[in-house]
Order: sequence, then structure tokens, then C-alpha cells
Amino acid sequence: MSPVVHAAGLVKTFGPTRALDGLDLDVTSGEVHGFLGPNGSGKTVTIKIILGLLRPDGGEVRLLDRDPWHDAVDLHRRLAYVPGDTNLWPTLTGGETIDLLGSLRGGLDPTRRDELVARFALDPEKKARAYSKGNRQKVALIAALASGADLLVLDEPTAGLDPLMEAVFQEYILEAKDRGCTVLLSSHILAEVEKLCDRVTIIRQGRTVQSGTLAELRHLTRTTIEVETRQPATELAQHPGVNDLQVDDGRVRFDVDGEHLDDVIGRLASLGVVSLTSHPPTLEELFMRHYGEAPLEDVDDRERREAVRRPGGARS
Amino acid sequence: MSTHTGTARLIRFILRRDRVRLAVWVVGLAGVVIASASSLPPLYPDQQSIDQYALLFGDNPALVAFAGPGYGFDDPNLGVILVNETQLWACIAAALMSIFLVNRHTRAEEDDERADLLRSNVVGRHAPVTAAVVVVVGANAVLAAVCAVAFVALGYATVGSVALAGSIGLTGLAFTAITVVAAQIASGGRAALGLASAFLGAAFVIRAVGDIAGSWVRWLSPIGWAQGLRAFAGEQWWPLGLCLVFVAGMFWLARVLFDRRDLGSGILTQRAGRPRARRWLTSPIGLAVRLQRGTILGWTAATFIVGLVYGSIGESIEEMVADNPTFADVLAQQGGADITASFFATCMSQIALLAAGFAISAALRPRSEEVAGRAEQVLAMPLSRTAWVGSHLLVAAVGTVVVIGAGGLGVGISYATVSSDVNQITRMLGAAMATLPAVLVLGGLAVALFGASLRLSLIAWAGLAVTVLVQFFGELLQLPGWAMSLSPLQHVPGLPAEDLEVVPLLALSLVAVTLAAVGVGSLRARDVAA
Repeated sequence: MSPVVHAAGLVKTFGPTRALDGLDLDVTSGEVHGFLGPNGSGKTVTIKIILGLLRPDGGEVRLLDRDPWHDAVDLHRRLAYVPGDTNLWPTLTGGETIDLLGSLRGGLDPTRRDELVARFALDPEKKARAYSKGNRQKVALIAALASGADLLVLDEPTAGLDPLMEAVFQEYILEAKDRGCTVLLSSHILAEVEKLCDRVTIIRQGRTVQSGTLAELRHLTRTTIEVETRQPATELAQHPGVNDLQVDDGRVRFDVDGEHLDDVIGRLASLGVVSLTSHPPTLEELFMRHYGEAPLEDVDDRERREAVRRPGGARS
Repeated sequence: MSTHTGTARLIRFILRRDRVRLAVWVVGLAGVVIASASSLPPLYPDQQSIDQYALLFGDNPALVAFAGPGYGFDDPNLGVILVNETQLWACIAAALMSIFLVNRHTRAEEDDERADLLRSNVVGRHAPVTAAVVVVVGANAVLAAVCAVAFVALGYATVGSVALAGSIGLTGLAFTAITVVAAQIASGGRAALGLASAFLGAAFVIRAVGDIAGSWVRWLSPIGWAQGLRAFAGEQWWPLGLCLVFVAGMFWLARVLFDRRDLGSGILTQRAGRPRARRWLTSPIGLAVRLQRGTILGWTAATFIVGLVYGSIGESIEEMVADNPTFADVLAQQGGADITASFFATCMSQIALLAAGFAISAALRPRSEEVAGRAEQVLAMPLSRTAWVGSHLLVAAVGTVVVIGAGGLGVGISYATVSSDVNQITRMLGAAMATLPAVLVLGGLAVALFGASLRLSLIAWAGLAVTVLVQFFGELLQLPGWAMSLSPLQHVPGLPAEDLEVVPLLALSLVAVTLAAVGVGSLRARDVAA
């Protein structure tokens, strides 16, 4: 089956700025696909290319196996888009805006619209001028969710929503997924991505750095283990794949690379485990590993070093 | 901490942000005024030619409406001619500069929520408004000073030069104050701009009526005060005091209103609106109508009122010619041109210029949608760019017809009333409509530029500036033929004074349509603002 979104080697420059520098993205039908990256990494530019609002300078992009620039109007019949920073017409009320956006898309289900307005607790009689950022966001979300489109393109849709509304949003996304809807969800909120997404693509500086299911990505990262053993476990510090080992009154705490997990557990068993807790890597840790540990200029170098070291064993 | 903390830094910030914009306004305005002033001495080298000018223009009500009360025509000097030729338009331009700049840095900032960002810093409550006022008053002061120095250098009498330059700066000052108040009252930046511009229109009309009737009514208009300084015609300074008292009062009022309202909302508050859209709104054209409705109504009312005023003057022109044998002789020498008809032809080109202002702003409406980030949402719908921009342009074109028609109708209705000749209504409406193709060319230029790029599209306003320059100062500045022909209004027959010619109207229409088509074509090929 051909992917819903397929982008390969996308390049987009704005004057001297290289916003996209060979970006790859594949979204398959029926999945919720997380699109992650720090500010300015090119998420919004990619989405606008997928929507046919921007034309790429290089690379290939297909949406539902068609050219998003050339066939924009036809393709837009099948998708609903929520921008990251929703700008509304200040003199139109929220209700009018929802109806307007809905009917431009080809009509919306009035019952569902009312249900969404109620669930998101939106006052549809207020002029958009008077809405907060979160309320403006709700207007765009309601219009998109009421549309019955089979592809939702959401650019940081929950920015500005309170946790209660975020939960409502997640509920509707899961429902859309059950309906067979494909969702491309760009986000910063890792908990949201972990909860909703089947697969994620992580980008940095206009390039894809990792893509896969959460399980696959987790495999590449470290599990945190806290263990108490009969015999001292400090020697594990020398074991391949073990990082940041700390000893605290007979207990040790360390992170272990996914590929060495089996080995390490075997060694622990031979030392006599008294108690053991472990937790899988969170997406946050995954994210931090890509962006958080070094200033951006140095990351490339660091990764290269790490790539060389990793087969060799533990970092000190 | 004072409520003015940070004013100095904000002033520097505005100067930095608007260094080009301020320079264009001040240098452009001063340039046109000074060029006009320098063109006069060779045209009127001796007292005899000056007297001739006074004979032709003094007491002519048709020209009084477009120039001013004509102080000093009983004992004319070159300065009187300078005042008659430049003062009114320079004052209006200074007022427009002040309105745009003040609104840009006060109410428009609040709409974009940048004001909140500034105010959350160590910035006093009143600092942003004060800084904007200081900068705009400064721009007017520089404009006046440059003009005064240039007039004196060109050999005009010193006191008169100061009074004329001062009248320009004073009008700018008065409208700075008016716009600050409008910014407190209106519900948003666009509305504040409309309110202040309506004040300017009213000021223009009130002084025109006052000057024609020779009545005290002129003292109700800030432009009347500026002209009341009687530059080069026995200067009197008390209107200066009147203006300063008014300005002080307006600033006080603005401060009271400012302290009573919340940032981002006006004294005129928002009512609750409809929870659901009516059917007509939910199409691209419905949206365009809804977004442009207020602007169309405002401009239509403006041209209609201007038309009514002009139409009512028509009859007194003939009376005056009948009462004044000398003037009738002069006219006869000039080939017996119908002075009433040429007056109305001038009226129509003025209405056309107003309508061009509307046409350009309406044609650039899709640009504001794109800049504000609303276009991307609409274009993410199954709606082609052609259909999107086409809906806006259709509404803009129909709006232009309505705005021009209202002006022609205004002239026709009031002239028909004073002359008891019903046929004047259709005659004037037709005369106004003859300017439509020229106006659409300016709108089409805006579309072509918008299609090419967001940045370029503001050059469309330069097209209007050139047209205004040619229409008002072209002959005075003795512009060469090619420069005169840059104004599309030069290519339409001056109805009702001239005969209707269809070919130029068709040619202009074709140019307008081609420009618009080029614009739509290039819009389809470019990126939408990211």
C-alpha cells in the first residue's frame, strides 16, 4: 500500500536559510504519526509543503500519491488542517468561523459540531478578537474534527490548550484513528505523542534524524535500572552498554543501552538480585539524547563520536 | 515608577523600526511642496502676472472648494499663489501621515498583541502612546521646519513662509491628537483608522462649506485653523492658540479614555455575535463581502457626502460668472469653456482618486489575509487560489463601482436639486462612471504586485501617490508629457466638460483586466507566506 504522505530528500530554502535539508517523511494509512523536532527545525515548513502552500526546491513529495502543489484543491477535499498558530478573522464569531471553515471544506455534520463545541467548552458567540490563544485553537480544532476528513494534518494543535482540553483532544484523535483516519501530528508534548502515536519521525535542522515505531526507537535507547544485589554490582560499570552507574548504600542505579539489556540482566542474576526496578526510556529521554545534551553546533560531532564509540562499549 | 517609564527607549525603537517609512513621508511631502514653491517664481515673474492669477482664481467658488478661502487676492503677492496652490493638499497629506503613523504605533499594535509584550516590560502605562505621539509630532515639526527654510531660501517672505509651513505642521499636530483619541474609542486598529479618516473628511468638507459661504463654520475645522493663519496675507496668529488648546484638550481626553479602557478593547465594546453563520457567509464570496462590507460602506458614504457638497456648489458658479463681467470676459478669452462643466470634471477626478484609495485597499485585502496568516487556513481547503483571490477581487471591483457611483449620485442629486433639473442625476452619474476604468487600472496594478510578492505589493500606493501628484501638481510642476501620462486619470475624457470617448475607456479596462490576470497568474506560482 502506498503511503499517505511520502517525502524524500525535501529541500526548501528561504534566501540564505536552508529550512529543509533533505527531509524524509512517510506516513502510512490509518496511523497516527508523530512529527517531532525542536523549534525552527522545519516541521511547519514541511507541513506547508504537504499542503501545497509552499513549493519545495528539491526532493520528492507525494500526498495520497499525488502532487500536493499541482492537485492542491482536490487533495484538500480529503484532509483537514489545524495550523500551529491559528489566526482568525477578528470580527467573526467562533461559531461563524467554524461554519465558514466547515462549509469551505464541503460541509460539516451539525450534530457533531454542536457536540464538539460543548465538549471543548467554546463560547461560539464571542468574536474571535476576544478569544485567547487556546480558544482560537479550539475553533480550528472543532472545524477540523467535525469535518469527517480521512487525513488530519495537525501542527502543534494543543499549544495553548489546558490539560482538560488536551484530554478531550486526545480522546477525539483516538476516535478518529478507530474510524480509520490518518493523522499527522506535529508536537512538542511528548506525553501526548507517546499516548497517541503509532510511529514518530524526529527531525533536526531540516533533516530526519530518526523514524520508526516507538518500540523501535526505544530499543535504540536506554533503560534505567535500580537494583539491589547480594554481591556488589559496582563492577557493572565496566560492562558494555552500561552508563552513569551510581552506587548508593548497596543499591546501584544505571542506564543500559537497549542492545545490551539481555547481557546485563544475565550478569545481574548471577550476582543475586534482592530487588529490582526498571523503567523504559521515555520519549523525553529519546528527545533529550538528540537535542538536549550539547549545544546544537556540537551535536553532529558528538553523534559521530558516539557512533564510533557505541560498538566499543560504555562511555565513561 | 512613573507611567511614562521607558518613553525615551520606545521613541528610539519607533525611529529605528520606521526609519524608512518616516523618511519617505517627510522627504516625499517636503519634496512635492518645495518643488511646487520653486516652480512658481518663473511662472509668475512680475506683479502683472500675479494680478492676472488673482483675477482668474480669486473669489472663484469652484476653486475655493479645492484650494481654500483665498486670503490676499485683493492685494496679491507670489506667496498668496503658493498658499492657494499647495496649502490645502499639503495639510491633508500631513494629516494622513499623522493618522497612519499614530494608529500604527498605538491601536494597531494592540491588535497584534505586540503592545502586551512591550507593556509587560519595564514600560510605563502611558509610555507607548506618548512615544508614538512624540515621534509623529516630531515628524510634523521636521516637515514644517524644512518647508519653512526652503520657502525663505526660495525668496518668499519670512513671516509668511513660517505661517504656511506652520499651518502644515499644525494640521499634522491636530490630527495626531485626533487619532490618539480615535484609537481609544474604536474597537480595533482598522476601525480607529476609519474613524480618524472620517474626521479628516469632515474637516475638509466643513471648511469647504465655510469658505464658500464665507461663514464662521470654517472655524470648526482644524484645516480651517491652519488656513486661518493667513500666510502671506496679513498673518494672524490666534488660530494657532485655538489649535493648541484643541490639541491639549484631545490629549487630555485620550488619557482619560485610555485609563478607562482595557488594553486591546475600545470604549465602543463588542456585542455578542451569532453562534452560527448565516448561509451567505459560508462561501468564499460571502466571506469576502463580510470582510469588506464595512470598508465599502465607509467609502461609499464618504464619496456620497463629498459629491453632495460639490453638487450644491455647482449653481453658485454660474451665478458668480453672471455677476462678474470681468470673469466672464476672461472665460470668453479662454475659448468660452463651460466653467461649471470643468468644475464638475474636477470633482469627478477627485471622487475617482478617493475611489482609487478604496480600490487599492480592497485589492490588497487578500494581502492582509495572507500577512495575518488567515490565507493559509482558507487555502488548505478545497479552494483554488484563483477562486480565493477572485472572490476578493470581485467584491473589490463591485465595491469600486458602488463607491464611484455614490460620488456621482451625490453630485447629481444635489446639483439636480439646486438647478431644478432632474436630468443632472444621470449626467453626473455617467460622468463619474467614466473614471471607473482609470480607477480599476490602479486596483489592477495592486493585484499584479501582490501576485508577484508580498513586499512589492505596497508599491501600489506609490501608484496612487503618482496619480495624485500628476492630478494636483502636474501642471504646476510642468511635468513632461510622459510623466503626466503615468496617471491613468489623464487618459479618461473629463466628463462632463469633454465628450465621451469610448476607445480610451476600453483600452484602460483592458489594461486593468490584464494586470489583474497577471497578478492572479503569478500568485498561483508563488509560495504562500510561511
